[in-house]
Amino acid sequence: MSVAGIVEIIAFASSAFIAVAGALGMATTMSMFRSAIFLMASFMGVAGLFILLSADLLGLLQILMYIGGMLVMALFMVLFMPDPGGAMMAAMPEMMTPIGRFFSLGLLPENSHAAAAEMSGAHAEHDTHADHGGGHGTHARHQDAEHQRGRERKEGDDAHGGGDHHAHGAQGGSHGMGHMDMSDMSMVTPVRAWAAWLAVATGCVIVGLLVLRPSWPVSSALPDPRSADQVGSLLMDKYMVGFEAAGFLILIGIVGAVLAAHSGQHPDHRDREARVAVNAPPPPIEADFLEPLSQPLRDDDKCSPAPDGGHANHHAGGEGPT
Amino acid sequence: MGIGEGTGFVLLALLGGALLTHGLERWVGPPERGPALPVSLSCGTVLPNADRWLFPAGPIVGFMGVLLGTVVLPFGPDLVARDLGIGVFYFIVVIDFVVLGVALTGWGANTPGAVESCYRIVAQLVAYVVPLGLAYVGAIMMAHSLSTTRIVEAQSGLWFIVLQPIGFALYVVSGLMQSYRHPFLEPFADGIGGGILSVVGGWSALLWRIALAGVLFLVAAMGAVLFLGGWSGPWLPPPVWMAVKTYALMALMLWLGRLARPLSTAEMLALSWRVLIPVGLANVLVVGILILLHVGPG
Repeated sequence: MSVAGIVEIIAFASSAFIAVAGALGMATTMSMFRSAIFLMASFMGVAGLFILLSADLLGLLQILMYIGGMLVMALFMVLFMPDPGGAMMAAMPEMMTPIGRFFSLGLLPENSHAAAAEMSGAHAEHDTHADHGGGHGTHARHQDAEHQRGRERKEGDDAHGGGDHHAHGAQGGSHGMGHMDMSDMSMVTPVRAWAAWLAVATGCVIVGLLVLRPSWPVSSALPDPRSADQVGSLLMDKYMVGFEAAGFLILIGIVGAVLAAHSGQHPDHRDREARVAVNAPPPPIEADFLEPLSQPLRDDDKCSPAPDGGHANHHAGGEGPT
Repeated sequence: MGIGEGTGFVLLALLGGALLTHGLERWVGPPERGPALPVSLSCGTVLPNADRWLFPAGPIVGFMGVLLGTVVLPFGPDLVARDLGIGVFYFIVVIDFVVLGVALTGWGANTPGAVESCYRIVAQLVAYVVPLGLAYVGAIMMAHSLSTTRIVEAQSGLWFIVLQPIGFALYVVSGLMQSYRHPFLEPFADGIGGGILSVVGGWSALLWRIALAGVLFLVAAMGAVLFLGGWSGPWLPPPVWMAVKTYALMALMLWLGRLARPLSTAEMLALSWRVLIPVGLANVLVVGILILLHVGPG
């Protein structure tokens, strides 16, 4: 076999492995963020298969879509899920399948006993942010205390906990770690076993079809290296109406989303303004020819000046486990 | 060019470019902030709460993105690792792996500054990706090709910066945003301790150092290919012309970037949607009219 053939087989095997293992990890890991990354990896494995089939434009399009889109989706998921980092669920290995246990390796903090003590202490002690990003945020704070380098790290911590805070507010303010409905905060659902068997059955059927129907039509035609040109010509010629209509629909969706999210339409929770996109004004530059800002970047003055003040209070409860 | 030679060439181009970029950031004026923050290569970091799969994956993914992007950069008529038919599109796609790498490192490190870095860089991706694409589209339309070498050859008569100055300005702004340099250094701002740069050390710091310097190098090199005629020029050999144009554009970008005050992520998004995208669409319209008038390469 030629070198090119061996390279092709290796590329196919690694792409297929990434696609399958990514899908498996996506469905079983306890970390929501890791789950999104696994899904992205799975799609990239599929993109590798596309590229092996000489559909390189399609493969690259898939990668482009899923890097940006999946990352944004992961951030929205982090905003709304109580335990996005999965550290809390990873502490309960008895709730996981062996595959899930494998794909959740490395989630648990190395000093998990101390962290667990701090978690319970923090939970008993304060009420404003016991829900600090589930395990993830709590450990982040713990870690912050250990590796204090004298830098401003409050914004990040705040942003991390902020979304979770509201998610809990929507659930009626019950943010205890222990008495939360477990099925809400992980991939553990009652139908998981059924879903797994269904997936196995579907896989068996597909593989069986491949094996039992050996007469697949094989074409000896070489793939066209100018496939990108042809896709472009088809989109702007034969399928132009559908293409433009899809674009128009998306435009309508964007306009609708902007209108729906327009500030002032819906009275928000008061905290929300303060926590989302809190940005201390960036440090001034020495050699700056521009005029200084005539007014602060945000006109509600409770978040712009002195980033220490408000946040330090906010954190005072959490930093001292008693 | 075989696989071995190609790999060697790509590595050499990336390492040399990253090294010179690093030097340019240090030597010209006061040191850059943001991605050019000094990181410690000689000592590692202890992150007991890190996600121990995602955190080490981050620098590898980011470095891989920059490495892959170098593949389609032409340094001469035959001095390109792989002249892909969809080269420019490939370049746009693989550079995004840097964002993925920062997101992986930031989330995986599990410290507040690093996680904030992850959030900010994804928001910045949303801000720059559309105007950057529109800036590319102008050059692609005139060259009638996505291949980087064909784009350079199309500029043998007249550089595209003359025909589309708006597109060039748009490229400079959104390219700065893509390389996270001065006015757009929010993911690596001092306020969050340099973001992920506060948690990397040792080998991961080295990879991020190369990747972040390499992004600026790649953005400037692609700008030279798209608007400044790439390797073409009199007297000097092609790779020298390419290097000269790349570093001239890089110095111009760094200098222009320092004239503005740093923007927050929200301001970047506002700039993108209110200014850059309409300007980009207008540029595409102007280029289309020029092509209909048979201005530029036939």
